[in-house]
Amino acid sequence: MEEEIIKNNYTDAQKSRIFDQEFMPHINAMYNFAYRLTLDRDDAKDLLQDTYLKAYRFIDSFQEGTNAKAWLFRILKNSFINDYRKKSKEPAKVDYQEVETYYNSEDVDRQITPDLRVESLSNMIGDEISNALNALDVDFRTVIILCDLEGFKYEEMAKILDIPIGTVRSRLHRARNLLKEKLSEYAKSMGYKTA
Amino acid sequence: MNDPSKMKHDCSNQKECLQLLQAILDGEATQAQKEHFMKEHLDSCMPCYQNYHLEVAIRDLLKKKCTREAPQELIESIKKQIQQNLRA
Repeated sequence: MEEEIIKNNYTDAQKSRIFDQEFMPHINAMYNFAYRLTLDRDDAKDLLQDTYLKAYRFIDSFQEGTNAKAWLFRILKNSFINDYRKKSKEPAKVDYQEVETYYNSEDVDRQITPDLRVESLSNMIGDEISNALNALDVDFRTVIILCDLEGFKYEEMAKILDIPIGTVRSRLHRARNLLKEKLSEYAKSMGYKTA
Repeated sequence: MNDPSKMKHDCSNQKECLQLLQAILDGEATQAQKEHFMKEHLDSCMPCYQNYHLEVAIRDLLKKKCTREAPQELIESIKKQIQQNLRA
């Protein structure tokens, strides 16, 4: 973190209270994030456990009254990159710059799926959206989770992901276009089935 | 209710509008942007009106279908490890 880290010296009772009252309430959101990153139940469990133990170990650098959820999400994201991304089953990491440049090209915007309609979404009562989300590259998946599922602000996302706010905005925009593309593929295949 | 016959069917700024619309839904637009877009543009522009409702529907679906709860035994196990840490 670039900001100055103030170290507290919490007593055991304070640590216990912070852990229970500030950290534990986010455990379901954190588990969901871990699962969506690893796409594996066992890895998600390990990642969640590691993250909470780390949070406890570094509890003295948590400032009470600041956003505990963002603090926890940042630890989880870093643990994922350092410990899990390497061994995950995902294909070799796609070059960031390449992806960003590609999706910044005009091409993607031109294909803004005009055929996806609200009505076709209402037919997606199964795992279509979940599969569509999981099929996105992890960096795109992440911004959708943070923003649309967890309601983080762009500024908080920038801190969690260590990227500039402008990148948050553009990555989110690309991610949503890609998600819509996937969804319209599903919509099309559902249409063929019922036809 | 909008009168579709009075709405325009092409938006000359569709890309910018979509970005603005997402910023509004993300709570990241200014009050002025929000008012202008929601009150003046949305009711008169069909592509943006459709995009708006599509964005809302996708967010609803994501929230409904893409969350899951942590297994209870995992929660217990984490709590236990922290208590052991505290006692150590």
